[in-house]
Amino acid sequence: MKRFLFSNRVWLVIALIILLVYPLVQHSQYYQHVMIMTMMAAVLASSWNILGGYAGYTSLGHAAFFGLGGYLVALAHNQLGWHPFISTWFLAIIVAGVALILGWISLRTQGSAFVVVTIAMVFIFRLVALNLSSITNGARGLTQPRPGWGGVQWSPEFIKVPFHYIMLILLCLTIFISWRIRQSKFGLGLIAIREDEGKAEAVGINTMLYKVLAFGFSAYFMAVAGGIYSYFFTYIDPQFIFDVFTGVTMVLIAILGGRGTLWGPVLGAFIMEPLGNWVIGTFGGTQIHLAVFGGILLAVMLFMPQGILPTLSDATKQRKKARLAKVQS
Amino acid sequence: MLEVNRLSKAFGGIKAVDGCSMGVERGSITGLIGPNGSGKTTLFNMITGFYKPDSGSIAFNHRPIDSLLPSQICHRGIGRTFQITRLFWKMTVLENMVVPVRHTGWRTLFSQGVKKHEEQRAMELLDLIGLTKYHDEEARKLSFGQQKLVEFAAILMSDPELILLDEPAGGVNPVMIEKIMGLVDDLNQKGKTFLVVEHNMRLVMELCQHIVVLDHGQKIAEGKPAAIQNDPLVLEAYLGSTDHAGS
Repeated sequence: MKRFLFSNRVWLVIALIILLVYPLVQHSQYYQHVMIMTMMAAVLASSWNILGGYAGYTSLGHAAFFGLGGYLVALAHNQLGWHPFISTWFLAIIVAGVALILGWISLRTQGSAFVVVTIAMVFIFRLVALNLSSITNGARGLTQPRPGWGGVQWSPEFIKVPFHYIMLILLCLTIFISWRIRQSKFGLGLIAIREDEGKAEAVGINTMLYKVLAFGFSAYFMAVAGGIYSYFFTYIDPQFIFDVFTGVTMVLIAILGGRGTLWGPVLGAFIMEPLGNWVIGTFGGTQIHLAVFGGILLAVMLFMPQGILPTLSDATKQRKKARLAKVQS
Repeated sequence: MLEVNRLSKAFGGIKAVDGCSMGVERGSITGLIGPNGSGKTTLFNMITGFYKPDSGSIAFNHRPIDSLLPSQICHRGIGRTFQITRLFWKMTVLENMVVPVRHTGWRTLFSQGVKKHEEQRAMELLDLIGLTKYHDEEARKLSFGQQKLVEFAAILMSDPELILLDEPAGGVNPVMIEKIMGLVDDLNQKGKTFLVVEHNMRLVMELCQHIVVLDHGQKIAEGKPAAIQNDPLVLEAYLGSTDHAGS
């Protein structure tokens, strides 16, 4: 067990070092871009997982918080001159607050009703963004100045590097909080809710409070990511950022890697994002990447319905048991 | 300690519980019996907050509890088991034991999920029911009887004053029934109060000091086991014109 834990930690350090030196050794703009998007997908899937994985409430509407974060950051940048790299962390708290209220309303529903309510959430946000044009500039969207710091614009060769590191910080923070939650009484309560909500309530868990809090936490990281994203692309519009497909993708990534596990969503992202980019790069801007995505998901559902990570860890456990039995006999 | 006052609950046109009043004395084992469909489980669900009563009131330790959430009622000190055992299937037996909480504050919410002293207490309780060696197994892998025992032991983790058992002997083999009866008796000696719904008449008559009989949602008799056994109304409810025999 000790050795197992130790080796896990070693892998973690190796992964972190690779991510730390990546933009220094990989100078290709394209591969830098893919890595940033991959880390962002891992952030989205991991934070979705706090509600969707631990508590078992499948939300397809988390893009609403991603988009709201993006809009708040863009507006604060354009109107007040707040730098997105700083403001996104604070503005996301507002988004989390909005999520607490929306969670309090929507979490009265369960199962497929909850899924539908969350999808509606995205469309409502998109409608508001489209029609509140005095603030959001409507369908024309919002443009931010080219990224830089302290009045100096970053050169095209350098521009991806700061985004790489801020996304890495966000990824580490998301995983850390997700891990802390999983280890805590709160996390235990969320899993109990997933397993049997009525029973959880009977043994003293205030299920509504737990669920709403989980909703808030998962919205927070979603919003921070949205803020960074809006600056990264320097342009957002309602169609583009309040996209149900974004919400669906993060769910599929989490399911692929192993929903409800700490590392599953991260693993899923590091498989799907690069693969998706490779397919698009190879076959061009067709819809083939969607077909590939669907095919992989189908295969996972058929052969590893729990996702990659739980299936692998079950297999190792089985092997260990078999080995133990052999030693004993 | 528990006072139920003229409680009613209807589902559509059917009055499941109809103006029922009863009480549970501190330190007692009170039995709640009645033919199938007489409203026992509905009453249980109202006491534990799962159903809101249409009318009437419930007080625990002289404080009303009928408007509280199930979790709040649990915090007040009422624990319950379910007629059909409910465990968190994919969690380990130990985790199942640790989930029940009597108090939650913001500080404890984000503290370690399974604490050392909780683990110790859980292992003691598992030892009591003889299931220590399964502590790391998923709950769904246990046998039905073992699951019942785990559910019962887990309730004790939150140290309730009043424990509601919904058919603790249902579908359990005779050896296990003896074990459960022994446990309840022991805990009662140590000061725990019980309210037990059960169809196994031998268990009820041996274990309970006081029995309440329901029929069609109304209390038809109340008293010591010997008196209940000879009560004409009770005999009629169980053996009378209808065909549902009790045990």
